[in-house]
Amino acid sequence: MTNLNAIYINGLGNLSPQKTTDSSHFLDEVNRVQSNRLACIEPNYRDFISPDILRRMGRLIKMGVASSRICLADAGCVMPDAIITGTGLGCLEDTEKFLTTLIRNNEELLTPTSFIQSTHNTVSAQIALLLKCHNYNFTYVHRGWSFESALLDAMIQLRNGKASKVLAGGMDELTNGSFEISRRLGLWRMKPADTFELLKTTARGSIAGEGSAFFLLSSAQSDTTYAVLTGMNTFNRKASPVSLPRLLSDFLERSGTGPEEIDLAVCGLNGDTSSARPYKELTGSLNNAGIAAWKHLSGEYMTSSAFGLWMASMIMKKQQVPEAAVIRPPGAKTIKTILIYNHYLDLNHSFILIRKP
Amino acid sequence: MEELINKLKKEVITQLNLEDISVEDINPDSPLFGEGLGLDSIDALELIVLLEKNYGIKIEDPKDGKKIFFSIRTMAEYITEHQKKA
Repeated sequence: MTNLNAIYINGLGNLSPQKTTDSSHFLDEVNRVQSNRLACIEPNYRDFISPDILRRMGRLIKMGVASSRICLADAGCVMPDAIITGTGLGCLEDTEKFLTTLIRNNEELLTPTSFIQSTHNTVSAQIALLLKCHNYNFTYVHRGWSFESALLDAMIQLRNGKASKVLAGGMDELTNGSFEISRRLGLWRMKPADTFELLKTTARGSIAGEGSAFFLLSSAQSDTTYAVLTGMNTFNRKASPVSLPRLLSDFLERSGTGPEEIDLAVCGLNGDTSSARPYKELTGSLNNAGIAAWKHLSGEYMTSSAFGLWMASMIMKKQQVPEAAVIRPPGAKTIKTILIYNHYLDLNHSFILIRKP
Repeated sequence: MEELINKLKKEVITQLNLEDISVEDINPDSPLFGEGLGLDSIDALELIVLLEKNYGIKIEDPKDGKKIFFSIRTMAEYITEHQKKA
């Protein structure tokens, strides 16, 4: 359990299947597709990375570097005191390339580039190399709570005074190979789904997604502050109808927040009937709160809670819930407190609480 | 030789993902490393693999690499010489 009172979200950078790279627009024009997978809308990477460096970068690295640069620019930060990332599966494209070559060439004639780029910490390393940042650099690979692990470390660094500005992010990419394997495991809809109807229909499976979202967390408030990161809690076991409300109640109590204070619950609803129960139970215990969702916009992936935190931070700053995300409108005129609740396969659960600065 | 040089240029561009470089941009006599194309040690490893994979040539002594990979022309000459021996 981490409960902090003075961690400010001062910058955002989000690369996703929606137009999220420009903070002046907030999901006012939504990418509606009929599919069981969503791909990121990628910028011209040359706007962020020089071509001689770009040529060696895999897709997730480009996504991570671009979104981190957007975040740093948004916060007006030149050099963070720490770079901390979380990724469920890392640089899959390069991993697949390397392993395929390994098999095809009978473990010989292996090229170095895809091997070098296939490691999970390459994104945070490349960000540091480009910034010439020699500060604390860490990557967490913890399946469905990888981003939360990165966030927790960032909070600890800030709380212990070891850093005053931390660049923290979560990223995962979807490849044809990973989509096919996870499709066989029954994670995705068998037939293409209308993303706008995903949360209204009942069927097994969600839609696969990907994304990279970064946050500049600081111990000091600034002109660019979006929200105050008040607390976070994770648990890694199935949530029962008894345990979930109790865990939420304990979390809110330790965060000094009553359930009636939650103006909006931003939930990781993903349209999969097998994962709906915890969300139903949680929102059922927050009668006064509005409800919003994000996975019909981002798709499901191991670090999608980073998209959820991005959306909640934007809602807090703009005091507006995008129409495309609303499940139940908030009753409060001013949104002061937002709870983000996500779970991945009912195994990795997280609560994140943010407040209006 | 010119045919092989052009083929090598294309292969180097593809292998090293030199997106902004065209075949015409590469002077076959210019150094590949440092100045010229500005390649580095990771590219050198990629070129060693290229030579072995596409031409069946294995460089036994790493010291020879500096001479072989000086330019596209030296690469082409080495391949031709090696193929004659074979």
